[in-house]
Amino acid sequence: MTKRRVTNNHERSALSRREFLIRSGALGVAGVSLPALLAACGGGGGGGNSLLFDNWPLYIDPSEDGLVGSVERFSKASGVNLTYTESYNDNDEYFAKIQPLLGTGKRIEPDLIAPTFWMAGRLINLGWVDKLPLGDVPNKKNLEDNYVKPPWDPTGEYSMPWQAGTAGIAYNIDVTGRELKSTADLFSPEFKGKIGMLTEMRDTMGLILMSQGVDISTISSFDQAASSFDLLAKAKSDGQIRAFTGNDYIDDLVSGNYAACVGWSGDVLQLGKDSPNIRFVVPEEGGTLWADVMVMPKGTENTDAVAKWLDFVYDPVEAAQITAYVQYFSPVKGVQDELAKIDPELAVNPLVFPDDATAARLKSWANLSEDVDAQFADAFSSITGA
Amino acid sequence: MLALRANGAAISTRADRVGLGALIVAAICLVALGAGWFDGPLNAVIVLVLALVVVGVLVLAAIGGPEARRLLAPYGLMKPGLLWMALFFLAPVWSLVRISLSTKESRFSVQYDFNWAWQNYSKAFSDFGGQFQRAFLYALIATVLTIAIGYPVAYVIAFRGGRYKNVLLGLVVIPFFTSYLIRTIAWSTILADQGPIVSVLRSLGLVGVFEFLQIMENGKLLNTPAAVIGGLTYNFLPFMLLPIYVSLEKIDPNLVNAATDLYSTPTAAFRKVVFPLSMPGVFAGTLLTFIPAAGDFVNAQFLGNPNTTMIGNSIQDQFLKQNNYPVASAMSTVLMVSITALVLLYTRFFGTEELA
Repeated sequence: MTKRRVTNNHERSALSRREFLIRSGALGVAGVSLPALLAACGGGGGGGNSLLFDNWPLYIDPSEDGLVGSVERFSKASGVNLTYTESYNDNDEYFAKIQPLLGTGKRIEPDLIAPTFWMAGRLINLGWVDKLPLGDVPNKKNLEDNYVKPPWDPTGEYSMPWQAGTAGIAYNIDVTGRELKSTADLFSPEFKGKIGMLTEMRDTMGLILMSQGVDISTISSFDQAASSFDLLAKAKSDGQIRAFTGNDYIDDLVSGNYAACVGWSGDVLQLGKDSPNIRFVVPEEGGTLWADVMVMPKGTENTDAVAKWLDFVYDPVEAAQITAYVQYFSPVKGVQDELAKIDPELAVNPLVFPDDATAARLKSWANLSEDVDAQFADAFSSITGA
Repeated sequence: MLALRANGAAISTRADRVGLGALIVAAICLVALGAGWFDGPLNAVIVLVLALVVVGVLVLAAIGGPEARRLLAPYGLMKPGLLWMALFFLAPVWSLVRISLSTKESRFSVQYDFNWAWQNYSKAFSDFGGQFQRAFLYALIATVLTIAIGYPVAYVIAFRGGRYKNVLLGLVVIPFFTSYLIRTIAWSTILADQGPIVSVLRSLGLVGVFEFLQIMENGKLLNTPAAVIGGLTYNFLPFMLLPIYVSLEKIDPNLVNAATDLYSTPTAAFRKVVFPLSMPGVFAGTLLTFIPAAGDFVNAQFLGNPNTTMIGNSIQDQFLKQNNYPVASAMSTVLMVSITALVLLYTRFFGTEELA
């Protein structure tokens, strides 16, 4: 299979645009069943070169309600046989899964993964990712300025953001009975046993640290965070916290098991008009700003396909389609204008395009050194109890 | 020629020892392969030794005559089971114990240095003592509850089931055709704060009573110790009920008639005849329930809160999230050893000779 991929790569790079158009035309004539057939082959890829992108669940616009999803649009436009999987569920779990392979110089199956920025930083430091083929990505000029050479990827050669967003407070107003504004509300006795926290340490601890007046963008030692960890430990042993969860917190929030929890902006927006009682707020003490970034695990062979994909999703027209569905911050310039054409309401939503007042409250984490990161992780896991 | 024959006869008469020796050598070879004692070409030598031993015994059986075959037979019959255990039980346990006494040179390294690192064990006890205690406490309560629920049901099915016996047994087992995970997650919907049970309790004004009984906390049923224990009880009920049913089913009803003929009251007949005869079922059910329940992590994860985590959750977290194989292995070893000790103790009090 590997060998076939190599020859396919070679073929692709030799194809001119005209030949390519003819080929897609032929595919069109062959009928709709052919792409389905190719997809059914799985992994190997038939006519074009192939790409396997392993991403977080519900993180791209699907083909539904008469709309053609990005995966399908890309496959059609580029001829690349894109396999899009959603098995990236948790940074630590994924790391534990790939470590035995990448740590011993073997390659993993996906050509592209989208770890959260701090995990990408770790992978870059460990040398487990390859440089992106940015020379073949003309649209990289559309990368928003604040993601150019970010702290986790100081040379900017290894990663490109997929989506960004903020962690703040998500709450069910039917249960709280009032609007929430502050991280301190999560520790209010009136919500005892009805508060959820994320297992993602940087989001949960980020909010608490900011509420304690610690600047997470400059934090460099565990001592600065010790009292905030104590606060969380006390809330846990007092029974204030109902559970530490990953993506699944949203069910507990909607069903009313949680009054409030630490949550991600896009999740709440995605619920949309069906659940008007679920609200999201960037706490007045501050919310965390994060990004999930695309990196190529070491040894990826399908670099041409990766370049085509990066170029595709950094086209503001295409990126706007993704934003319209996932409703997170887009790292692509020009998305707001394009989005205004398809969803004018969303294009002015401050939780998708933060206004200056909101933006001022958002902070992103400093790059922690490996030892400090280990201290934070240990302290956090001893509280989450699992 | 004569010497050879004499030699052959000697081997034939001692064929049982040869069989035993071959079995032990083969088992050691498999453990060595499975646990990766050696690397590179030495492994090929071990495979060769393994093949020689197996073939050698077969050859001996073929040329040794009926007497040798008779002596070799028990070892031959033991071979599949023992070799399976060597490769899939002994070898992993060896690796587990070895890693539990190792350290990693750096946090993200995949190499473990074996250096008698007992601190992994002290960390397992100091950091996760609470989880160990909870695991055994919850498993114990759940086991007692499964006996309390399962025994009467098994009794009714065995003695009063009549022609509906199989249907009733089917009703017990059918829910368990669904995945374990899905059944547990379903409970989180049933026990939810706005779910059916809590709503009924609330409208009946019974929340206060349940809170007094420590079954509910803060008006919630889900994410409490009671929910975790309830989940364990529900999920392991068939493992208790079925062995009890089997041992009750075997009891001849005439024994009860005989007891009543001898002026025993029905209660005394149950206490002195039926219950002692059903003990093997209770014993087997207890082992089948307690052991997996003590290591369970699913119920605590979906039905518990951060203060009800069991040792299974911690082991899973250390293995799959913290990447801390040494401490996770130490915790697994402690769990295995303590369960074995508890089972031995239990066997000593209740005896296995009743497991007839």
